[in-house]
Amino acid sequence: MNALTRGVKNTLRSPVRSGAIILMFAISIALIVSMLVARSSVLAKINEVKSTAGTNITIRPAGTMGGMGGGDPLTAAQLNTITSTSHISSTIMTLTDQLSSDNTNLTSSLEFGGFGRAQRETTNSSSESSTSENKSTETPRTPGITITGTTDVNSASTDGSSLSISSGKTIDASGSDTVALVGTDLATKNNLSVGSTFTAYSKTFTVSGIYNTGNRFTDSGIIMPLKTLQTITDQAGVVSSVVAKVDSSDNVAATVASLKSSLGSAADITSEIERAESSVSSLQGIASLAMTGVIAAAVAGAAIVLLAMIMVVRERRKEIGVMKAIGGTDGKVVGQFIIEGLTLTVFGAVIGMVLGILVSGPMTTSLVSSQNTSSTNRTSQQLSGVRTSTNSSEAPGANFIRGGFNQIRDNASQVTASLTPNILLIAAGVTIFIALIGTAIPAWLTARVRPAEVLRTE
Amino acid sequence: MSLEVKNITKTFTTSSGDVTVLKDVSFTISNGEFVSIIGKSGSGKSTLLSILGALDSPTSGSIVVDDANIEKLKGHEQTKYRAKKIGFVFQQYNLVPNLTALENVVLALEFGGYPAASRVDRATALLAAVGIEDDQLTRRPSRLSGGQQQRVSIARALANEPAYILADEPTGNLDSVTGKKIFSLLHDLSRKQNTTIVVVTHDLDIAGKTDKTFTLVDGKITTKTRS
Repeated sequence: MNALTRGVKNTLRSPVRSGAIILMFAISIALIVSMLVARSSVLAKINEVKSTAGTNITIRPAGTMGGMGGGDPLTAAQLNTITSTSHISSTIMTLTDQLSSDNTNLTSSLEFGGFGRAQRETTNSSSESSTSENKSTETPRTPGITITGTTDVNSASTDGSSLSISSGKTIDASGSDTVALVGTDLATKNNLSVGSTFTAYSKTFTVSGIYNTGNRFTDSGIIMPLKTLQTITDQAGVVSSVVAKVDSSDNVAATVASLKSSLGSAADITSEIERAESSVSSLQGIASLAMTGVIAAAVAGAAIVLLAMIMVVRERRKEIGVMKAIGGTDGKVVGQFIIEGLTLTVFGAVIGMVLGILVSGPMTTSLVSSQNTSSTNRTSQQLSGVRTSTNSSEAPGANFIRGGFNQIRDNASQVTASLTPNILLIAAGVTIFIALIGTAIPAWLTARVRPAEVLRTE
Repeated sequence: MSLEVKNITKTFTTSSGDVTVLKDVSFTISNGEFVSIIGKSGSGKSTLLSILGALDSPTSGSIVVDDANIEKLKGHEQTKYRAKKIGFVFQQYNLVPNLTALENVVLALEFGGYPAASRVDRATALLAAVGIEDDQLTRRPSRLSGGQQQRVSIARALANEPAYILADEPTGNLDSVTGKKIFSLLHDLSRKQNTTIVVVTHDLDIAGKTDKTFTLVDGKITTKTRS
């Protein structure tokens, strides 16, 4: 029997007490493992969100918005400046135009309605005042057909996903062919199907596919390659908007500042930085909470082992004194007590890690859902605050806030707990650290036991 | 080989001031002698035994054992001295409660650096020599009688063939019959193995049967040698 065997055997000297210590320690290790899993999973999600959500910067010619307003299109030189700006990983360029009965054989699937008429009257009031006698004959019966030239057809999707092609196939947006995707409403109105042709600016286009976004305005339009639209409208090299994607939401503010500096007053630049920040702030809250949990559990674990071993050493001072009296060196006696502490730690760590692996999934879900509830409450308060202040049934901007919240909720609810070897290594490292802390002080106490004093006071 | 105590003084510092329990104590014990130390409670008998066993240090004076001044030994050298040259027998037996009778003796052999392969055989032989039956070898101290525990304690003290056995009231917790048996055991050891034995006792009968008796009175020692 050597110090190792004695140390292990002594751990089982009081099964109930050792069992309780091991159980408490196992719970703290389980907590460490699950909090590490939660934190790691949330950090992975944060990185994913940072590279996807709120990373778009929209650059438009100054004074324009959604085809309204005025100003000059963005030039090739400006586009070159945009694409060469740091942190911009990709761009989607778009040019929009309106087809009227003068330059297409198609009929719009939209009606003016009261809103469209009012808008048109406002827009044309000054020019039409001089030719009011012709108003009844020149006013079109339907709005123009929106034609979009783009470098990415998916940019027309209303929900950020890929454009849904209900029949036919998509087009090569980087090309310059006279092909187009036609919205399902416009196609129905004009009896168009895949392979049909139509004319625009005296050019004949072939319908490559019919798309369906569920949005009536969008489904009443036409999408074609950017270069094709630039060519047929004599606007080579220019665009009406650019959506630039930044590599991480951390860099959005700096990129916006850089673009504003280089483009000056020629462009209006908007970003989703606030949305990006609120998307990750909820997740960062969970990560911080998990880190606090790791530290608290580690401290609790160390305290459990430390106090248990101090108790053991104090109870067995006489035994220590006797062992030293009969020739036990400090190293051998201290070693035996360290082994006792390590045995408790190893048993607790193994049970704790298994327990931690089992509960890490539910624990992560629980953390995320509790944070969600908290976010829900906060968002509801914000919304009701807005409603109260404006005294209306639906506050301006409420949809934006709700949309942002939905994004947060989606981000948080999509956090999946994943246990990696790294987490187990970190947990093992924490366990070793706890074992060292938990046994170092008792070992020091053991070494200080003077056999003469112990035997004198027996 | 001899154990020579020269002008030992031991003073303890207590809350009520310094207390000197040993005052200029000197004596010599020859190899193979069976010596007793008697004195009233608190007279410093156990303190003297602790100093002889290098468990404690004298405030002044020296102890020379086999030409080595033990209070000048370093910590690990004193530990080695205890493991190799000294065997302790305590009034309370002081066996390790979680270890069996056999394991308690093996523990002393391990500390003394005895080869691992033959520790169990030697421990078994030692326990047999002091009268511990085979079926008692695997019992823990709590399942042994006081006399049996003291026998195990003596076997443990003998484990590393020490030159000196220091016994502090070895019969103090035993009934008179068992006490006599234990004393006889120690006496036999002294005679057969030529082991020097120093016994601290209250029992004047026991003291009367030893080769030499030191009496401690008020920290000072007187010697009575028998032929």
